[in-house]
Amino acid sequence: MSVRIFRWLVVTGLLLLVALPLYWILATSFKTGRQILMSEGVYFPRPFTLENYLYLFEETRFALWLRNSAVTAIASTLISLAIGSAGAYALTRLRFPGRRSFGALVLITYLVPPGLMFIPLYRTFIQIGYTNSLGTLIIAYPTFLVPFVTWLLMGFFRSIPRELEEAALVDGATRLETLYRIVLPLAAPGLLAAGLFCFTLSWNEFLYALIFIADDNLRTLPVGLSEFVVSDFAFWGQLMAAAALASLPVVLVYIYLHKYMVSGLTAGAVKG
Amino acid sequence: MVLTRPAAAAPRARGLAWHHINRVQERLLAYALILPVALLIVGLIAYPFLNAIWLSLTEKMVGYPARFVGLNNYIALWESSRFRIVAWNSVVYTVGSITTKVVIGLAMAAALQKAVRGNQLLRGFLLLPWVIPTVVIALTWRWLLDLYRGLVNVSLLDLGLIKAGFHWLGNPDLAMLSVIMANVWRGFPFFGVSFLAAMQTVPQDLYDAASVDGASAWQQFWRISLPSIKGVVAIVTLLSTIWTLNDFNIVYIMTRGGPGAATHIFATYSYELGIQSQRWGMAMAASMYSLPVIALLIVFVVRYLHRDEAGS
Repeated sequence: MSVRIFRWLVVTGLLLLVALPLYWILATSFKTGRQILMSEGVYFPRPFTLENYLYLFEETRFALWLRNSAVTAIASTLISLAIGSAGAYALTRLRFPGRRSFGALVLITYLVPPGLMFIPLYRTFIQIGYTNSLGTLIIAYPTFLVPFVTWLLMGFFRSIPRELEEAALVDGATRLETLYRIVLPLAAPGLLAAGLFCFTLSWNEFLYALIFIADDNLRTLPVGLSEFVVSDFAFWGQLMAAAALASLPVVLVYIYLHKYMVSGLTAGAVKG
Repeated sequence: MVLTRPAAAAPRARGLAWHHINRVQERLLAYALILPVALLIVGLIAYPFLNAIWLSLTEKMVGYPARFVGLNNYIALWESSRFRIVAWNSVVYTVGSITTKVVIGLAMAAALQKAVRGNQLLRGFLLLPWVIPTVVIALTWRWLLDLYRGLVNVSLLDLGLIKAGFHWLGNPDLAMLSVIMANVWRGFPFFGVSFLAAMQTVPQDLYDAASVDGASAWQQFWRISLPSIKGVVAIVTLLSTIWTLNDFNIVYIMTRGGPGAATHIFATYSYELGIQSQRWGMAMAASMYSLPVIALLIVFVVRYLHRDEAGS
């Protein structure tokens, strides 16, 4: 088999594999309830309608879920960036006993799967009496965001020439000053990338949000979406409209992040 | 430079000596900076986890204090046929998903290796499943595989390839295949792009020399590309194994572990025992059964990545 044909086959196959489900989301979201129910001409929306999107905002708590997701994702991202960047700086630039073991510890905690942690974490939140609040999630998400941010930023910090800092130290700046005036500004693109990754991870998080929150008004988007399906029945038109809207922010973020994703710095940035 | 503000300019005279005297200060600053990370790890990862191990050795009924039962939970699970199915399913789900992702990922990397116009755009598009929320992916696949109205059955019927729609999520074997398909769809782009990034660091000279010697493209792939990226293949496989073995979202949303227990895996089963039945000790014991494998894999990954880190 010639190389050209192999390449063409694989590329076409993969394009279809990725494109068809995405098309199915959009096509369904623009169909009328009747067309979906009767399974009439499944391939294209006929007639084309926006009723599913309007329904979300008029008849469901979609706007509330959107707000809850945004609040949770932004707050946990900011907290994780603050904590993680401080840790990453210490681990790459300062000498202290236990540095290497601590670096390994951060990596280990990054690797612990949420599927193993959800019950332990939930029990701990019950013990301290703090469940069923967006605050619970804002505290819980840094458990996987901080190790990730720390690990990611260690790479960025290492790429900043040490000489710049040493020059500043010789000039009488304190370590903390060099961190805020030299390292952080130079690592700004890294911080932004790390922040956007955190936002994506929080925005997409499902398991903790499902378990730690019982109040319908505090649901985040993924949990809200999952509850559209009642036993074996679902309003697929509205559900796919919600799916499209829920994916939009992270797809936009991704257009910016794309260049970092290929760089290998992000191994396993999305667990799965 | 930014640093020539008055307060910083004065101590210039201290010069290099300052650098050495401040070893202690440097340490104090380091500990202050890692303190928040350390507190988070101790308080919200280590403590909960150790507490949960203790929990797995107890039995807790609603309204009564927890009672120490030793290894009873572990023994009860070991003897439970349902849990054996769960453990086996977890292995099938993990091995099935990852093997498929490695194969598709390698094909993707090989096909995109040569620079072609539009390659960047293509790669960007193929990575989309990786950023879309997993919940959206699981719901979409559930809808794609709908018995009467799903795109998969309807188009297979329209093409005349089958006589009757597959009962994807209702048939035990097909249900496992379905959750694996959704998982592969989400995960293969990351495999492909990681492999591709690794392949592109292989010097072109090697391929040129091989071509001169008359090696076919197929041989070049097996003899040059694959051996050069085996480290990346190993690390991506290990990482993915750690997270797939304790995956939750796709199975929970597509099948809830059903039909029967046909797609139940560790995390969905722990959810059933803990969150739904309030049998916390049993739920934690079920999770713990995957721990030896997870711990071993984590040790491998940490040694690999940390060695890299120390070297740079």
